[in-house]
Amino acid sequence: MTDSPADRVARFVDDLLHGRRPRRFDASHEEVEAMTAAAGFASARVGADLPSKAALDRIHGRLAAALDESPALDRHVTRRMLLRTFGTAAAAMVIGVALDEVATRQGKAPVQGGDGGSTVLMPDGGAWKPVASITQLPAGHAMTVSTGAIDAIVVNDGGSISAVSGICTHLGCKLQPDDPGKKLDCPCHQTAFGWTGKVLYYRLKTSPPNLPQIPSRVNGDQIELFVV
Amino acid sequence: MLAVTELRLVGSPEPDDLRGAETAVYPDWEAVYEDNVVGIYQLVFRRVGNAADAEDLAAEVLMQTLKTLRLPAPVHNVRAYLVKTARTVLADHWRRHYAAQDAAAELQQVPPDALISPHNSAAAERAERLLSLLPDNFRRILELRFLRGYSVREAANELGVTESNARVLQFRALRKAADLGLEVLT
Repeated sequence: MTDSPADRVARFVDDLLHGRRPRRFDASHEEVEAMTAAAGFASARVGADLPSKAALDRIHGRLAAALDESPALDRHVTRRMLLRTFGTAAAAMVIGVALDEVATRQGKAPVQGGDGGSTVLMPDGGAWKPVASITQLPAGHAMTVSTGAIDAIVVNDGGSISAVSGICTHLGCKLQPDDPGKKLDCPCHQTAFGWTGKVLYYRLKTSPPNLPQIPSRVNGDQIELFVV
Repeated sequence: MLAVTELRLVGSPEPDDLRGAETAVYPDWEAVYEDNVVGIYQLVFRRVGNAADAEDLAAEVLMQTLKTLRLPAPVHNVRAYLVKTARTVLADHWRRHYAAQDAAAELQQVPPDALISPHNSAAAERAERLLSLLPDNFRRILELRFLRGYSVREAANELGVTESNARVLQFRALRKAADLGLEVLT
């Protein structure tokens, strides 16, 4: 089987789009150029370039392990200090809540603060896209779906279907549905949102914005979202 | 602005220090780590495009910095050092796994202030701008693939070409995008 550069790069792109670590191979200069551009485009998906809490946890774990192996480093940093660090690790320069930027690009002002209402994401060039079958989402449940440029959470509240962004407006961590509590938990900073996207509580000094709502509808037995 | 709010949450450095970034100092590793771990992750993610590699490379950048950095040190020095380390680590990644001899040159385009840029997370906007500069057929294949998540087969159907042609089109489109300037994607 002969592989052309276009084939190899297509495989690389497939791996990126499926969230896999790409296979390694000896690439030409042109292929590396194309793959670097592909990496940039793959990062453009909202929230794609933000680390999960699990990833931060592992990065932190590796640094802590390195400190254990190398006591000399304690001159600069104690292990305890590094451990203490972790609770607030996902911090600072990230800023820019990715979804705020999407909202801004669509000509809407970003929502400031939890009591400031909600943004509805109505992207230009969007289309209704099926994300799940209605049978997958019984009443009283919420589920995470991924489509186009959006990670969303679809909710069935007593037969009424709605959707909000699945990304925490604070630092972009992926929210986890808590069905019995009818809420969406952020694993990073003990923040929770209601099914409508409204901030329920937060352990931050200021309230994060409410979750943007995503237009949803039921078409036949499919739940559809209006997304790019 | 959001920026200031977020920084206040972290506590160090204080927003006031950042306004006078010339003089702000990281007192200890804790401050360096908190302030930069996510930024470093994003910086490398945008150049490898996947979470598994980004996690390894971000850990590597921080590890190397941890071993060599002497603190306290000015914030802008530390960030410049982190970015420089990230370049080296990325060039090494492409060299080791893809036999790329000259990836270093490409990566010189990581701007020294990459970690401070307020546009750090506006990747979507930059990608959109870059797409808008491409000829129609190039733009369409990349939109279908990267924005809509189409497979090569689906994209080929949509464009009315063979799968093999779609792969070639994608390759050419990506090279053209690279030519137009990676700086749009930094």
